[in-house]
Amino acid sequence: MIEAKNLGKVYTVKKKINFFRSEKEKVNAVKGLNLTIGEGEIVGLLGLNGAGKTTTIKMLSTLLNPSAGKITIDGLDAVKDAIKVKSMVNMIAGGERMLYWRLTGAQNLRYFGKLYGLSGGVLEDQIQNLLEEVGLTEASNTPVELYSKGMKQRLHIARGLINNPKYLFLDEPTLGLDAPVAKQLREMVKSLAKNQGKGILLTSHYLKEVEELCDRVYIIEKGSLILHDTPENITASVVKNYHVKIESSALSTSQQNRIKQSLTGCSIEFSEQGDSSEMQIIAPFDPTALIISVCIKESVAIQKLELKRPRLEDAILTLAKEKLA
Amino acid sequence: MKLLSILVAETIKSHQHNFHNKLIYFSLLIWPALLFVTSYYSFKPFNLSDSSPLSAYMDVDQITMFLLTGYLGYIFFWSLVQSAWGMSYERQAGTLELIFLTPVSRIVVMFSRAAGNLLEAVWLFTGFTLFVLVVTGNAGDIHWWNVPLGLGLLSVSAIVWGGFLNIVFLFSRDAGILFTIFEEPMQFFSGVRIPVLAFPLWGKMIALIFPLTYVLEIFRDLVLNGKGLVELAEQFIVLFGVLAFLAIVSAFLLKKAETHAKETGNMVLF
Repeated sequence: MIEAKNLGKVYTVKKKINFFRSEKEKVNAVKGLNLTIGEGEIVGLLGLNGAGKTTTIKMLSTLLNPSAGKITIDGLDAVKDAIKVKSMVNMIAGGERMLYWRLTGAQNLRYFGKLYGLSGGVLEDQIQNLLEEVGLTEASNTPVELYSKGMKQRLHIARGLINNPKYLFLDEPTLGLDAPVAKQLREMVKSLAKNQGKGILLTSHYLKEVEELCDRVYIIEKGSLILHDTPENITASVVKNYHVKIESSALSTSQQNRIKQSLTGCSIEFSEQGDSSEMQIIAPFDPTALIISVCIKESVAIQKLELKRPRLEDAILTLAKEKLA
Repeated sequence: MKLLSILVAETIKSHQHNFHNKLIYFSLLIWPALLFVTSYYSFKPFNLSDSSPLSAYMDVDQITMFLLTGYLGYIFFWSLVQSAWGMSYERQAGTLELIFLTPVSRIVVMFSRAAGNLLEAVWLFTGFTLFVLVVTGNAGDIHWWNVPLGLGLLSVSAIVWGGFLNIVFLFSRDAGILFTIFEEPMQFFSGVRIPVLAFPLWGKMIALIFPLTYVLEIFRDLVLNGKGLVELAEQFIVLFGVLAFLAIVSAFLLKKAETHAKETGNMVLF
């Protein structure tokens, strides 16, 4: 289990005043963050740009020392026992950096494998298995500079798994990838957690991805935790409204009034479209069953019904609006 | 075993990176050979007889050998300045951060990187040196039994120097300043072309800054003058003192660089 308690990171930034003078400024990138990641669990870390996600990941992966608080990984202190912790974790970032482009995929894995102390048959087996797992066996002897973006990202995943880490930190792993490749990667991530029991921390701007993969989500804003729960609970607690759109046979004014009276607490707008009508309903509950029963009672023929359930994306947008207000 | 494994990994990585096209042979052979030839012919118009002022400091008949050994030593050291420059690439590519993400001994990586790069960078010019010796008929003037020791000494010194530079580059985003310091000044003040003894006092002081000065002196005494270990004991002690100092400073700076990077996150800045 990874446990971060009261985690903080302060950067000292030099601000240039003029050619001769500069001023030091403290920037609180992360403030009092508490976070846990269990084995076999996928945990999301969300926030707007500059929220402190990457800084948090770098502290968990021992690349940065926290300015405050403590990180323990299976009981080991991430600062004092950094070398031992490094064998247990790995980090995968999105994008095309962090690979040797003139080396082949297999050579990249061999180099990093050796840095993790692997050698001989164990290393070669691990390389073959990983290349197969990420579908790069045929391209294993091709220089990385000839790989597509998706292939490079798959090689990143293989590189991140070379030391068979117990905990994996994924920083925007599907950034800029085509939908099919991103889907493939999501399935791989799911399998790593569920079948191999790896604890995974995921940051992503694709909120559907977070909703699909994560058991729990932490939302941070300017380095501080503002919400922590399952994606469903976060959505339910932040987004209160359901949107329903109904296309039906033409409605008389009296029918419209009776429907309005039946759906108390909801906002309804009607519009006429030739010989049919359209209703837009916004309700603080799922009004589908109620609206259908009212339509049946009023002998209104429903031609089309669309229910838009609140998503995690709506929750984040709502939170962002609240912060801006 | 692990040390060897990292050394092999660094050598392969450096080979794949640097030998991607044939132009690399330009910097490996043509450029140092041109340096040697231009220096040689720069001396030609001047008085190189026993009445030459230079004869007070060296055997002027050995000018070819003096320059050859000088440039051989220089290439050993200069190639590792170029290799350390490659750290900027590692920083920009983000691979430097990935190296520090692993539990590998950082000092082993830094010195293995130097050793791996050295082998790649010097074999061609070493071959060229042997070729010139044979062609010019100077092969007989060499004290061959001292050559393995001389080359070994040159290699070890260059690796310590290269490891030190790699670590210095962990602090620096821009390598330009080191290129300026080490290219022409190191070539001149280390006694590659002119004996250090011929310099004025201030020049001799500058020469002491460059480890190449100490190595070249011993290397020439071994292979050109045939001196033995006992005769060179004092020079060896000084050289090993310089190398030990460099190694200790390297270990200290490496620790400092990683601590600094962990505080500031500057390993991703470029």
